[in-house]
Amino acid sequence: MKDKPELAKPVYRDGDLRIGVYVCHCGKNIGGVVRCEEVAEFSKDLPNVVVSRDSLYTCSEPGQEQIKTDIREQKLNRVVVASCTPRLHEPTFRAACEAAGLNPYLLEMANIREHCSWAHLHDKDLATEKAKDLVSMAVHRAALLAPQFELTVPVKRVAMVIGGGVAGIQASLDMADAGYKVYLVERSGSIGGRMAQIDKTFPTMDCSICILAPKMSEVGRHPNIELLTLSEVKEVEGHIGNFRVKVLKKARHVTKECTACGDCTSACPQLAPDEFNAGLSIRRAIYMPFAQAVPSRFLIDMNQCLNNQGIVACDRCFQACSNKCIDFAETDRMLELEVGTIVVATGVDVYDPTALTELGYGRFPNVITTLEFERLINAGGPSGGELIRPSDRKRPEKVAFLQCIGSRSKRSNPYCSNVCCMNTVKDALLIKEHWPETEIYVFYIDIRAFGKGFEDLFQRARREGVTFIRGIPGEIIEDINSGNLKLLGENTLLGTPYRYDMDMVILSVGIRPRSDAGALQRLLNLSTDTDGFYMEAHPKLRPVDTTTGGVFLAGAAEGPKDIKDSVTQASAAASRANILMSKGEVKVPAITARIDTNKCVACGMCARVCPYHAIEGSKDLGYYRVIEAACQGCGACVPECKFEALDQAHFTDAQIVSQLDQALEKDPNSKIICFACNWCSYAGADFAGVSRIQYPANVRIIRTMCSARVSPDWIERALIKGAGAVLVSGCHPADCHYNNANQNTLKRVEKYWKRMEKLGINRDRLRLAWISAAEGAQFAKVIQEMESGIRKLEPKAIEVAAEALTKRKTKKVEGS
Amino acid sequence: MKIWNFFPREALYECYQCARCTGSCPALEVAPAYGPRETILKCLNLGHEAVVQDEKIWLCCTCNVCEDRCPQKIPISDLLVALRNSAARRGNIPGKLSIAIELLAKTGRSMIVHQLDEMRAHHGLDPLPPAPVEEIRQILKKTKLNEVIDF
Repeated sequence: MKDKPELAKPVYRDGDLRIGVYVCHCGKNIGGVVRCEEVAEFSKDLPNVVVSRDSLYTCSEPGQEQIKTDIREQKLNRVVVASCTPRLHEPTFRAACEAAGLNPYLLEMANIREHCSWAHLHDKDLATEKAKDLVSMAVHRAALLAPQFELTVPVKRVAMVIGGGVAGIQASLDMADAGYKVYLVERSGSIGGRMAQIDKTFPTMDCSICILAPKMSEVGRHPNIELLTLSEVKEVEGHIGNFRVKVLKKARHVTKECTACGDCTSACPQLAPDEFNAGLSIRRAIYMPFAQAVPSRFLIDMNQCLNNQGIVACDRCFQACSNKCIDFAETDRMLELEVGTIVVATGVDVYDPTALTELGYGRFPNVITTLEFERLINAGGPSGGELIRPSDRKRPEKVAFLQCIGSRSKRSNPYCSNVCCMNTVKDALLIKEHWPETEIYVFYIDIRAFGKGFEDLFQRARREGVTFIRGIPGEIIEDINSGNLKLLGENTLLGTPYRYDMDMVILSVGIRPRSDAGALQRLLNLSTDTDGFYMEAHPKLRPVDTTTGGVFLAGAAEGPKDIKDSVTQASAAASRANILMSKGEVKVPAITARIDTNKCVACGMCARVCPYHAIEGSKDLGYYRVIEAACQGCGACVPECKFEALDQAHFTDAQIVSQLDQALEKDPNSKIICFACNWCSYAGADFAGVSRIQYPANVRIIRTMCSARVSPDWIERALIKGAGAVLVSGCHPADCHYNNANQNTLKRVEKYWKRMEKLGINRDRLRLAWISAAEGAQFAKVIQEMESGIRKLEPKAIEVAAEALTKRKTKKVEGS
Repeated sequence: MKIWNFFPREALYECYQCARCTGSCPALEVAPAYGPRETILKCLNLGHEAVVQDEKIWLCCTCNVCEDRCPQKIPISDLLVALRNSAARRGNIPGKLSIAIELLAKTGRSMIVHQLDEMRAHHGLDPLPPAPVEEIRQILKKTKLNEVIDF
């Protein structure tokens, strides 16, 4: 006989089920729409319910105490809380259950706020009926819950920081100082990022590089920090506490012995635009990114060097180098690093205003961007800190700043870029400081001086004679002979048109997510908001966490922010990572797949779809088994099993089917069953609620971890029970939180469509929609569309379809 | 006439008065008092009733430059067309414009062309061919211009 592992058995049998139901008013958030007393009264008659209460705030201390008391005194062994989304308070109520001695997995939540009261604000009757349905679904599911025991996994006390700007530097130092090893991965040749390019900082007018450089050198010499420049993250595997990261370290072609003497660069014949100076000056093919660069070593840009691809056509730098530290033979290397936590601090790109043709950027030499201006006015910049205009290198006497270029616009970025107003005020003051007679005009829509010391700086600029004019010019016209610029527009406060002649125009450009932010987003399974910035796990309470455990956000990659906010957030992210590493272990949710080895016929289908290679076994062994520490709990394998040998803990077939049956208990023809994945679509539906986007109340949402958990059998059951329509929704392809497990969803739904067509069933009744966590409006739109589809359905057609499916099913059972 | 049936009113709420439209407006060259920004603001704050009384809306030549440069993609030309339709129905139509339309309906041309014929003869050109007056009248009637101007 083979040695087969035992399956955990449920502790409680049906006879002794004692369920407590708690309906939360959430102040007026739920109570203002749903009649909570009525829902609590209704719940009393549900099977196995022994206690049913409503309370103003269930999550409050007294609310939680009530649950604990009832668990002890009423001997409750299941708890159902009808309140907000489980994505918010499930941990709270689980902790309450655990404190009273109940296994936390015996808690079930009904989402009657985000998915009910907030989404159906104007129909109290419908909302109350829906809340009853949701509670009933939760009670029936609760009856089938089993206690689960979470596995503890060790957390490697090593961190990786991606991005070496000020946020990445701060996060690295904070973790390294706490005693943990840190890999700082930077794409360019030096750390420093955007802050190194800026001349002064607002509102204190500190010299930017002067305050950054000491931190940069600290990173360079810190014993706990391994700095990887010219490096990019290429692959990420694993999970919280145990990530395996492949980093491509590109060849620098200059060895550690480099003393930064600069003899090589004067020998180099190849020229290229200097990226650090925003293209305003030239550098050689062998160059130092900037004077204060860390590591303080030269590097060869192989795209410019004549010795590309192993052909040595020129060795002038090699000849010039007295230390012999130039190595043309160095190759790119792929490093494999094991880390426990990751901080993402990849920063932002600058908006390119070329598309706004009326402003003439790129055509008129004297129209420049703020980043270019920062380099122009910097003592280390191309003009040595002299304010000159590009066309004739003369000092401009009249300078204009144009605000909101590339921000707050449907033609570019819809959001406010947060830093441009104060940056302009600072720049204007800088000019006034050195050349007080310069006339400065700032054309603005609103000046947003919201931070500490910002308003002071703004008022100072006005006192020093900077003219602020409300109204952005519609057009800039260049005088070809002089290079001067004519600005046409309207002063909206005076209501009069203006024409200003300027010597130079500076476009205060906005900031936008890195153009390649998507690559890292997919590697780390992050979400992005509608603007393309990485999304935090909760906008208020988990602002530096991501939905991927062990991955944290710092700096402007999460949203536009200034240096102070970036540093604050970096320290917060480091602190969050430090908590994990200091504890050294973390509990992972007990929602893994389980195989009943008695039923398993070792066909291996499950192992084939597992995105984590977490199922092992063979024909010879006679069964397959799940490696629990590797299983991430997507459930993609379960629908693949034709022998009912597989199930997912806490998301069992029986539990989901019980929810389904309850949802379709009354008036099934008018109902939409929605299977939503935890990370994107369920969160998207939550977001619709939070945004108070209204949609039809006849949708019943059933949560799975991944859309790949959705079994075609559930769809069939819903249609046989007469559900009007079924929606399967998940993350966008390539955004799946389980390594593209949702490609299985697509396959299965497509297969089911074919079956429906074959049986003459209207295939529109089954819909597949990719809805991200930020697409609340999209969720509502899909439900609206499906609702109008249902209205056109004949009850007879639903009946015929159900019959056809039942017949097919019985035939199949008899056949096997 | 319900003007907001012809123009999505919500689009106006997107306007944050940056004045790029007015700054781009060619009408500004000839009539410095006019601007789409002000028109939108008045629609929002005073209601379109007040705007349609104002003769300035007839200065727009629907060149669409404002719309092209509007950061919020507000269909400003459509707004002006809707406003002028509404204004015309209330009888707020500039005298010169109604004369031109009357002329168009009666002679098939929007200006008097006798002198033009003399000029053409001087240069040895044939007189202008007769305009298809009846066809033009039919077209004008289809656009319901006859409900606004008698011709």
